Amino acid sequence: MEDPLHPFELHTIVPLSLFGLDVSINKAVIMMFVVVGVVTLLLTRARSSGSLVPTKLQSVAELLVEFIRGMIHETMGPEGMRFFPLIATLFLFILFCNLLGLMPGSYTVTSQLVVTGAFALGVYTLSILVGFKIHGMKFLGILVPSGTPGWLLPLMIPIELISQLARPVSLSVRLFANMTAGHVILGVLFGLTISGGLLIGWLPFSFTVALYGLEVGIAFIQAYIFTILTCVYMGDAFHLH
Amino acid sequence: MPSSPDPLFAGLGQAVRIGTNLLATLMVGGGLGWSIDTYVLPTEPWGLVAGLVLGLIAGIRNAYRTAQRWDHS
Repeated sequence: MEDPLHPFELHTIVPLSLFGLDVSINKAVIMMFVVVGVVTLLLTRARSSGSLVPTKLQSVAELLVEFIRGMIHETMGPEGMRFFPLIATLFLFILFCNLLGLMPGSYTVTSQLVVTGAFALGVYTLSILVGFKIHGMKFLGILVPSGTPGWLLPLMIPIELISQLARPVSLSVRLFANMTAGHVILGVLFGLTISGGLLIGWLPFSFTVALYGLEVGIAFIQAYIFTILTCVYMGDAFHLH
Repeated sequence: MPSSPDPLFAGLGQAVRIGTNLLATLMVGGGLGWSIDTYVLPTEPWGLVAGLVLGLIAGIRNAYRTAQRWDHS
């Protein structure tokens, strides 16, 4: 049987180099272009009718906007609406990367730790910058939980520092691990189907079908978790304790 | 999708967070301790030990905090 991690390998299709940096085009890059294109196309089409009685696509888009707005209001409060474009872009991009990656023959961009790591680091750095911009040096108080007695400080500050630094790590590893693991399981089960033949192959195949449904759910949940945690971290930067 | 997240959806979201959080704090704590051992102080292996313990405490503390928030929502 084929190596289950083989589908995640990337091979350069168009070699490109920009100021000595390797910016070659591979499957993942093409897939990102496709995702951006699909999201843009769907949303502009949903907008174009603009009628008072919404079309199907328009009402889905309206639900989506309401959903993201609800997330932001719950975690950041109304002042967080400044970040609505960022949060919505993040949610839609990750969601469509996960969903389109489930199509046979395509590529799941979010199964690369580089991609999720870049997103997580970017979002986390932004939340730190926003915190320092709003609160100034007082933002360092995020390392001191409220109501800590003075003698505990030498212990609490390293602990808080670790849990702060763990935020981008857990954010990126969660998305990457979930997508990779799901696709590996699907691949292995489908490999078993093919090598099992007609006699026994229907058993792993039925599991493939069931797991595929689960993966669609996971695609939604992981996109939701990534976005809601971004909101929570931004909210922490807004409201210091 | 409803405008305020469905309770099952939001609950699942919160539950899935705890596991990876434990792992991430352990990794970061251990990594910090190990790099102090290797590059800063000649304290091997105590930096790694202290880092892992602190990481574990941080992870459990985070899980506790997440669980506490469930009562209010």
